[in-house]
Amino acid sequence: MRPLFITWEYPPYKAGGIAAHCEDLATTMASQGHEPVVITYGDERTSEVRDGVQIHRVPASNSATNTLSWSMHLGHEMEKKAIELHKANNFDLVHAHDWMAVPGATGIKKTLNLPMVFTVHSTQKGRDGISSNYQKTIHDLEWYGTYEAEEVITVGREFSEEVKHTYDVPEQKVNYIPNGVDLERFDSHSENLNRNEYALDWEQIVLFVGRMYPQKGPGHLIEAMPHILDQQPEAKFVMCGSGATEHYKSIANSKVGNKVHFPGYVSDNELMSLMKEATMTVAPSVYEPFGIVPLEAAASETMTVGSYTGGMKDTIVHEYTGLHTYPADSGSITDQVSRGLEDPGWSDWMGDNARERVEDNFRWEQISAWTTGIYNQAVEQRS
Amino acid sequence: MNIVLLSKQFSDGDAISEYIKTIAENLVDRGHEVRIVSFDDGSYYSIDERVDVLRAPMDFDGDNLYNWSMMMNNELKGQVMQNIGDDVDLIHANDWTTVPGGVALSKQLEKPFVLTVHSTENVRGFEGEYAEMISELEWQGVYEADQILTTDEDTKNSVLFDLGAPDEKVQKVDPYEGSWPETVLNKYQELVKQGKKVKN
Repeated sequence: MRPLFITWEYPPYKAGGIAAHCEDLATTMASQGHEPVVITYGDERTSEVRDGVQIHRVPASNSATNTLSWSMHLGHEMEKKAIELHKANNFDLVHAHDWMAVPGATGIKKTLNLPMVFTVHSTQKGRDGISSNYQKTIHDLEWYGTYEAEEVITVGREFSEEVKHTYDVPEQKVNYIPNGVDLERFDSHSENLNRNEYALDWEQIVLFVGRMYPQKGPGHLIEAMPHILDQQPEAKFVMCGSGATEHYKSIANSKVGNKVHFPGYVSDNELMSLMKEATMTVAPSVYEPFGIVPLEAAASETMTVGSYTGGMKDTIVHEYTGLHTYPADSGSITDQVSRGLEDPGWSDWMGDNARERVEDNFRWEQISAWTTGIYNQAVEQRS
Repeated sequence: MNIVLLSKQFSDGDAISEYIKTIAENLVDRGHEVRIVSFDDGSYYSIDERVDVLRAPMDFDGDNLYNWSMMMNNELKGQVMQNIGDDVDLIHANDWTTVPGGVALSKQLEKPFVLTVHSTENVRGFEGEYAEMISELEWQGVYEADQILTTDEDTKNSVLFDLGAPDEKVQKVDPYEGSWPETVLNKYQELVKQGKKVKN
């Protein structure tokens, strides 16, 4: 098949998880004999083939005063590129990722008369609400995407229900396909961690990875830190990620001083080493349609303590691959993190189980095959 | 000839609607086929029954005219591709609100693209949060068009000097002059004969 991916970010351009998702999915499809083409944003017009995937970048307007109008204009530029490419070699369908791709993908669908598949990675309602007119318009675009698409893909089982209800999508149109994790990347990376930069020899690393925003719940973990240290003084908290880092850093430092470390920017390689080195990762998200951290930790044979919400209901098996906490509950985080630290044999065992479980259930080869299955359904509906 | 006229709206009393209505009726009088494609705002319109009017509904309100127009153009493209398809000789858009649709259709169908600029953002005062982006769309429309028409001298000057259009691509056709629809029709005929000139 020859799907056209529409995404505003594709590596090395990367702000959230969509870039990595698209790259892993497209690369796997290419390795399975498909011909995925990506049209995405770039500072300038470029075309390249990487890992079997054609990647075309188009620039967007510099005059946009907000992300909505920016993505509208980007969509128009993407469509012009798609028209040009389609003339040389027909696409089978257009696959949009999240709302920023909706203006471009629906235009392409209509002009080139192609079936459309829409992957919803998260919703505006879940991210930060739909109270302003601006937020409502993003919500409306998300609805429009689900309405125009022949098939909708969501990344979480519970999240599928949220998508169905939020946008009133017919049951049979919504498909749950989890995210995957590239195990090879974790196995082949060169370990070069200077552990002393992060913790003392006798300390156990408790790792947070994620953007520092309320949705990801770093505040709840910080609140739990002094209580965890009361029970497990060997804990050392390492907080990785962008966002409101300074804000959270000052709160955390005032609570536990040098028992918490904010390393700032960390390379992918360093992060993978950290995940392997850590005793556990903590994912205290309040809202998490999927949540890649538990899978990446699992690939590193590390257990995760995560909120019982959204995708983590499925990606963590309590007391087998990690531990669940109540969402937004620092007391619950204290209890579960302490339990994990208390018994190193048990946390190692859970890390090993987690790895085995991703090997069986969250491989991109499987996810890519499910996705092309959905493509076939979308194409059949249009013919 | 088969002509597609794109407009943000089509309703009686609206200046651009009356402009395209006159062109459309003159075309059918001479045996040509015309389709007017616009957003369906539910308002009343009247026109010679030989003219096809496709009005597209849209369930997207948008938070401003710019974002709304960008999505509305997707609906216009859908109407054209589903109901008319390849059976088009020329696309004629009106103002920036139909530039994205006009540009995409003319590229996809490889047919000449005419743009009437009824006014420019510069003439209107360049005010508001989206002025810059609207002006960019106007520039793009002017850049991609095979022929630009303006309805008055001020707008023509703005198209030439603010939007940098080449002199030979711009013509003022004043809709208050008696034989103006014929001038437009002759222009169409010339363009259809030449085929698509501007390729980017």
